[in-house]
Amino acid sequence: MKNLILKNSAMVAGALLIGAASASAAEFKWASNTDPQTMDPHAVNSAPVLSFLNNVYEGLVRRNQGMSIEGSLAESWEPLQDDDGWRFNLRQGVTFQDGAAFTSEDVMFSYERASNEAADVRSWFAPVSEVRVVDDFTIDFITKAPNPLFPDSIANFMILDKGWAEANGAELPARDAENHATMNVNGTGAFKVASRDPGVKTVLVPNEGWWGEATHNITEATFTPIGNAATGLAALLSSEIDFIQPIPLQDVAQVESRDGFKVLEGEETRVIMFGFGHEHEELLYSSDVTGKNPFADARVRLAAAHAIDIASIDRVLFRGKIEGASQLVPAGISGYSEANSDRPAYDPDRAKALLAEAGYPEGFSFGLKCPNDRYINDEALCRAAASMFAAVGLNAELSTGPVRDYWPQLREDAFDMYLLGWSPGTFDMEHPIRFLMSTPNKEKKLGSWNFGGYSNARVDELLPGIQREVNPAARQAMVDEVVAITQEEVAYIPLYTQPLIWAAKDNVDLTQRADNFFMLRWVTVN
Amino acid sequence: MVYFILKRLIQSVFVMIAVAFLAFSLFRFVGDPITQMTGVETSIEDQERLREELGLNDPFVAQFVRFTGDMLQGDFGYSYRTRQPVGEMIATRVPATLELGIVALLISLVVGIPTGVFTALRPRGFATQTILLTTLVGVSIPTFVIGIMLIFLFGVQLGWLPTFGRGGTVQIGGWETSLFTIDGWRALILPAITLGVYQLTLTMRLVRAEMMEVLRSDYIRFGMARGVPMRSLYFRHALANTMVPVITIIGLQFGGVIAFSIVTESVFQWPGMGLLFLESIRFVDIPVMGVYLVVIAFFFVLVNLIVDLLYLAIDPRLRVKDTS
Repeated sequence: MKNLILKNSAMVAGALLIGAASASAAEFKWASNTDPQTMDPHAVNSAPVLSFLNNVYEGLVRRNQGMSIEGSLAESWEPLQDDDGWRFNLRQGVTFQDGAAFTSEDVMFSYERASNEAADVRSWFAPVSEVRVVDDFTIDFITKAPNPLFPDSIANFMILDKGWAEANGAELPARDAENHATMNVNGTGAFKVASRDPGVKTVLVPNEGWWGEATHNITEATFTPIGNAATGLAALLSSEIDFIQPIPLQDVAQVESRDGFKVLEGEETRVIMFGFGHEHEELLYSSDVTGKNPFADARVRLAAAHAIDIASIDRVLFRGKIEGASQLVPAGISGYSEANSDRPAYDPDRAKALLAEAGYPEGFSFGLKCPNDRYINDEALCRAAASMFAAVGLNAELSTGPVRDYWPQLREDAFDMYLLGWSPGTFDMEHPIRFLMSTPNKEKKLGSWNFGGYSNARVDELLPGIQREVNPAARQAMVDEVVAITQEEVAYIPLYTQPLIWAAKDNVDLTQRADNFFMLRWVTVN
Repeated sequence: MVYFILKRLIQSVFVMIAVAFLAFSLFRFVGDPITQMTGVETSIEDQERLREELGLNDPFVAQFVRFTGDMLQGDFGYSYRTRQPVGEMIATRVPATLELGIVALLISLVVGIPTGVFTALRPRGFATQTILLTTLVGVSIPTFVIGIMLIFLFGVQLGWLPTFGRGGTVQIGGWETSLFTIDGWRALILPAITLGVYQLTLTMRLVRAEMMEVLRSDYIRFGMARGVPMRSLYFRHALANTMVPVITIIGLQFGGVIAFSIVTESVFQWPGMGLLFLESIRFVDIPVMGVYLVVIAFFFVLVNLIVDLLYLAIDPRLRVKDTS
């Protein structure tokens, strides 16, 4: 993947061409491994929920097929002149699915609802100090500091109708008990929910009153969650469903070998990496090193990076579907540092030399923690990495577990080294800098996923500038500096970008967006 | 009789409380519900507040007492994952599991009893040996493998039957059933066979063993000597006596069928209680897990009770004892 955006736009062009050629209407059935747990767009900040609800609700802005921002309920937006913040000029003549008109009051209401304590998405509004309704179709979001990224960061902020929410007692996202918005939907989007049986089946039908022009040919779309991967594959191969996301890597050959089906491959924006217990005083799971933490030494961390043979991992575990990563976002994401695009080469001799230089000529043992149900092939990857580490003298004691138990362990610092995958929610380099590279600080809400406590004063100093800087060149210079520092200090070992593997019937055309979201309005069934 | 049933029901309450206690003491090791409920961007502060709101910081005993207290008052709480009332969530999933379990049980009885009798009457025949060997293979393969094999054979290769879900369902007085549509039956066949295979083998072997035992007993020999027709001897005298222990075991097994339908439900994406339970484990949805386990415990108690009552109906000797 040289350039994510380029590749995706090529796909977009293809999809549009095919879309234009066909016109016949069709029913569409699809499956995924997780049911959206609620129909409330502010209750849970998780991909299955936001991906699904983006078909029904809409935000002020939205992401197009190539992941860049375009107008949705806002036709245009510009930075404010007198204040820090943004003005959104709203689309006129839009109605909610129940017929109510969309105005700035609904945006104001949705902002208050989504930034409330009861909302899981409230972190999106941390930079906002105030929201002002200017008129029926103009609204200002005032930010505490200049925030060039703000419009990008609210692409999944979906707008509810104020009247509908108030009439049904859904002023706030459900906290204890369910409320009307947990099961019922009233958006402005291209589809509406015809029926829902949680965990079993959800049926969508096109919204006739949608303001946009429909490019799909779906008359009815049925979603079924299928948790078991083999069952999902069987459902596709028996033609009971038209499309499934995702399928396991080992099933790719099975799908490709059959007539009438195809595998869709892309790169997710998720980078898989190893992290270290930087701030630990000593190794917790070592049988031969006590009283000190070898990973506190950058040479040891670099040795670990040189021990990894990404090409072999790609060939053996991923069937040639991954691309090595040099930093915490893949190429094509804004802020990607072109100046620092080399990753440490596979060089076991260098690794051994570095270990000797750091005072561990015989190597040492340590504990490696990995999830076994979170990322594609996560457990197999860690096994492979452990044997690569062992080849240079780093004897990893691997322990794996389900993700529901994995995060709590990382939070409790129960690791020497760990595996993590990160997808930048804002699709900008600032996101991993804020969450993974900043010194953990609860008050400032920084470094909340920096489990190892990596800390560099210069990185902390640069972050506010990166968040505020409007000039792209000046901003990139700061980002480049952060990437250079964290590469030199080997804050993490970025491994590769996780592949995205979906499967569909041959007659289905759809867009595979890099954030793993599936948009029904880009589907055509031929 | 009424006293007997009442006593059992009161005992069941204690069983359920014990199960709830065991379950609760294990939940701490399942994982952290908060990280499963919130997104990656949620601040630690907000996570802590949610943890406090849900009472997850309370000591284990306090959480357990609150759970049982609410349950005894009929308040099953709300799911962490979906926010829906747990009682309702489980209630809507009960029909799917019960129908699957009952059909699986029927299959195992309708096939298992006749083959059991047959193999007992011709213990050395070629057909008997074949049946015994086949069922041995059937019972040795794990349920999910049988399920997947059936799906790929009948669903994917032959395309005769659906691979997942319940097919067409209809509502009858709040009970969502798939027993009244062709589609529903088509969807039910494979999971019911998958779930019933183990039961079937067990029934067959049990009937065979008991039948052979009974056939050796004195009263059958006397009957033979007296010239009682063989048909009447086999099916009226021998089989009836065979059924007493068989009913006990099968009945007790039925509780297991309901409880262990989890695997079958997962393989066939069958929207029953088991599937709900699996999803709940994945999301550390403690209220749903707790209520599910208590409900399953209640099923076991109920099945035991029914077995005892059936006993009274089948075996006249017990009735005499009861009245004396």
